[in-house]
Amino acid sequence: MVKGNLHPVTQLIRKAVKFFESYGFDVFEGPEVDSEWYNFDALNIAADHPSRDVQDTFWLKDGKLLRTQTSNSQVRYGETHKPPIRAIVPGICYRNEATDSGHEVMFMQLEGLYIDKKVNMGQLFWILDEFYKSFYGPETKIRFRPHHFPFTEPSLEFELKFQGKWFELGGAGMVHPKVIENMGIDPDKYCGFAFGPGIERPIMIKYGISDIRLFRSGDLRFLKQF
Amino acid sequence: MKILKSWLKDYIEFDLSDNEIDDKLTFSGTLVDSYVSGLDQNVIIAKIIDIKKHPNADRLKLVTITDGQKKYDIVCGADNIKVDQIVPFAKLGTKLGDFEIKKISIRGVESSGMLCSEKELGISENHEGIMILNSDYQLGKPLADYLDNDTVFDLEITPNRGDCLSHLGIARELSAVLHKKYRREPITLNSGAETASSKISVSISDKTLCPKYYARYIKNVNIGPSPKWLQDRLLKLGLKPINNVVDITNYIMLDLGQPLHAFDANKIEGNSIQVRRAKPGEEILTLDNESRKLSKNVLVIADSKKPIAIAGVMGGGNSEISETTKDIILEAAIFDRKNIRKTSKDLGIVTEASYRFERGIDFAGVEYAINKAAKMISELASGAVLSGIVKDEELDKEVLIPIEYEKINDLIGTDISPQETNSILKWLGFEITDSCAKVPSWRQDLQIWQDLAEEVARIYGFSNIEFKPIPKIDPPKKSEFYYKEYLKDLLVDQGFTEVFNYSFLSELDSKVIGLNTSELLEVINPIQQDIKYLRNSLIPGLLKSIAKNPTFDPILVFEIGNVFNKNEEKITLSIATSGKNARSYIEKAVEIIRNNFKFSADQLAINELTREELTRFKIKKPISYTVEVELNDIKKLAKFKEDIQLNIPEKSIHYRPISKYPSVTRDLAFVLDQKIKNDELIDQMYSTSNSVSRVELFDEYKSDKLGKNKKSIAFHIYMQEMDRTMTDEEANKIVKKIIKIVENTYQAKLRD
Repeated sequence: MVKGNLHPVTQLIRKAVKFFESYGFDVFEGPEVDSEWYNFDALNIAADHPSRDVQDTFWLKDGKLLRTQTSNSQVRYGETHKPPIRAIVPGICYRNEATDSGHEVMFMQLEGLYIDKKVNMGQLFWILDEFYKSFYGPETKIRFRPHHFPFTEPSLEFELKFQGKWFELGGAGMVHPKVIENMGIDPDKYCGFAFGPGIERPIMIKYGISDIRLFRSGDLRFLKQF
Repeated sequence: MKILKSWLKDYIEFDLSDNEIDDKLTFSGTLVDSYVSGLDQNVIIAKIIDIKKHPNADRLKLVTITDGQKKYDIVCGADNIKVDQIVPFAKLGTKLGDFEIKKISIRGVESSGMLCSEKELGISENHEGIMILNSDYQLGKPLADYLDNDTVFDLEITPNRGDCLSHLGIARELSAVLHKKYRREPITLNSGAETASSKISVSISDKTLCPKYYARYIKNVNIGPSPKWLQDRLLKLGLKPINNVVDITNYIMLDLGQPLHAFDANKIEGNSIQVRRAKPGEEILTLDNESRKLSKNVLVIADSKKPIAIAGVMGGGNSEISETTKDIILEAAIFDRKNIRKTSKDLGIVTEASYRFERGIDFAGVEYAINKAAKMISELASGAVLSGIVKDEELDKEVLIPIEYEKINDLIGTDISPQETNSILKWLGFEITDSCAKVPSWRQDLQIWQDLAEEVARIYGFSNIEFKPIPKIDPPKKSEFYYKEYLKDLLVDQGFTEVFNYSFLSELDSKVIGLNTSELLEVINPIQQDIKYLRNSLIPGLLKSIAKNPTFDPILVFEIGNVFNKNEEKITLSIATSGKNARSYIEKAVEIIRNNFKFSADQLAINELTREELTRFKIKKPISYTVEVELNDIKKLAKFKEDIQLNIPEKSIHYRPISKYPSVTRDLAFVLDQKIKNDELIDQMYSTSNSVSRVELFDEYKSDKLGKNKKSIAFHIYMQEMDRTMTDEEANKIVKKIIKIVENTYQAKLRD
């Protein structure tokens, strides 16, 4: 009798889907190979702006790229659905960076998108807080601090307190009106929030895993513990 | 970007600890990555008055010291101390980095503090002995009073906030957060009758590329080293002092955020400075000693004959300040952000100047910056500043944003009054008239009311925003995702482990599985030159996983992931088995999948790897099988009708890091009551010792032969140490402990 195991990332994604489906969020999985438009320009990240430099991109010979963020699915989902929109997009992202115990060329993000009339930041704070409480327990503390992303305004990053220490989990914000416009939705009528935290990191924090590269190591001594 | 606390105080008064500054900045949007504090005030100056041997340790000494009033007894191990020496003494409660000095007993003698080496104080790398001071140091005073005692903050400035790339900029942020005014000393320059315009003229050929160019002429400078205080400030922020004039231009850039450039006036031909695009064939030797060919997109600063600088990026060697420079032309300008970015990318040069120009410069701060620099040059390099600024410029553009008070509150989820909104914006430097905000000259990232919402929210404080629930609604229709997850559960139930591999394939991988690389997508800039293809099959990854885990037998793995070719991206499932009963495991997996989904036998054909293939993948096990199938229509292929639900595994996880050293395995079988949950028992075994790295249930059966309502369960127990190979003796000890606990807690009986 051999016991099988689901990848720890799969397990967290399922918990996330279960949580967000109860608030009506659809699950969408966009392409990993995408155009510059969906990954950057549609998200208000212009090629001639230094905000492009924040993410090191793998470019393909045919002019496309490997998505650097699951946010590539925001406009893809938005242009094929009418508001109110509630969707989460779990998926692989690619960054052309030197790897070490904290950095990987491939990692997972959990994108969330919520577009409706009169959506506000207090709601974004609330849903992130609830979600991480569902994963770490009711004592969990989440805090938010201002940040900058070209595709959200206002933008923020959020952190989790675990065993007395603060850990950065990811970014979020109120969807930029240009992005809403690029979905073909009227930004004067609709607004919304989006978030895109990493998936490996919360798992690492929870179980004390010190090296992100273990997730794609194929090492059964690691995978069979979950 | 690095910022000095003392430098901030040139602009704004505050009485905040380093930690408080960290908090104020971080939670208003300027993330403090880290800071290095000056020396703790608890380190004071003391004199050694007695040294005795430690009764219980030959290498330690009992030292009595005085701070002039009080005596302290401490234990010290240094060899270089003598009676009457003046030394730094860290009192109880002193923090040195992360380390706090506490009252401790060292070999039976209490020590109430510590004498410190230079390294312990963070002054140098010297750890040879205790730092010895001279009699100029007054007993009892904090050592910090005698040292340059500053805090360096390392800030992460987001690309939209070019205005924060200076001490003035950070002082402005603090001012808005603290509601405290900052001040910029007015500059008065003493210049004679001679005018700069009698020496040079300035003209801009394209004002979209250069909206503002100011120049000053300074005569008779004495080039030499800068004073120590200026060198110290530069050094602390990581800049190398060069000479007084160059140091002053760098200083002003860190101070005000305005990059400056100084030209040797006597190396310039003619008397006109032109800001223009490079001409065909023009070249320049830049200050980094590289000869650079210039395209017509590059904006240059030129004299009447040749380029003397690449505008906003780097100066030219032909007009460089040297030891013999007498007269200088000082430049302060604004260059187009996009063009600077393009030039910097095209030429592969990023400088402190180009970095700032790319992110936007305060167009109303140019004059102040050039005047402050001129004043410093006159004072520190005894130059004579000629009267007037020679300039060419276009009119400054104003940005006005109507303040949508209600929409701002709606977006943030607050109820901030218009008065408070106005007050926040005013503290940030906006001028407000008739519900309209004029954006401060240093902010080039603000255009729409949502931008104002962010400004208001970050100063109002994110922590003051109330959480508001969103309404629950019915879950939407189940997407393909759910069907994939269902498929995963089928395989996990059969003993398979899910792996995630990389999407990249090397040339070698493609050869090994005989792929035609012409169909594959290729990465232009791969991490490693030979790993440039995107996978069009998951099998190479799975075979590598098998090869990587020789100690497991059998190996049952699968992956669901995207594969790519030039036309499409397809979601795919691959399964691989290797070792003991590999054939029956994969056959069973195929059968279960076909019971649930309408795949044909062909689609799920089992492939047996040849001996040659196994060798190429370095798989030692004699037999391995694979199956690969596309899942694009998985939802349509489902045979079941009921609403699909996500299964969330609820087992408790005991993560143990993987040791480099081999583990020891023992098998244990128990007979116990059927009601006892296996998971509970497993939890118990993990909790027995951190050295238990894996507990695997491998056999379970129920039989009345064992006793009424009894069952037999058997486990493999793996044990390891992180820093050494575990001995049999150690393993036996743990196993004994496990047996004892299981027998006592569950009235279980160990089987032989």
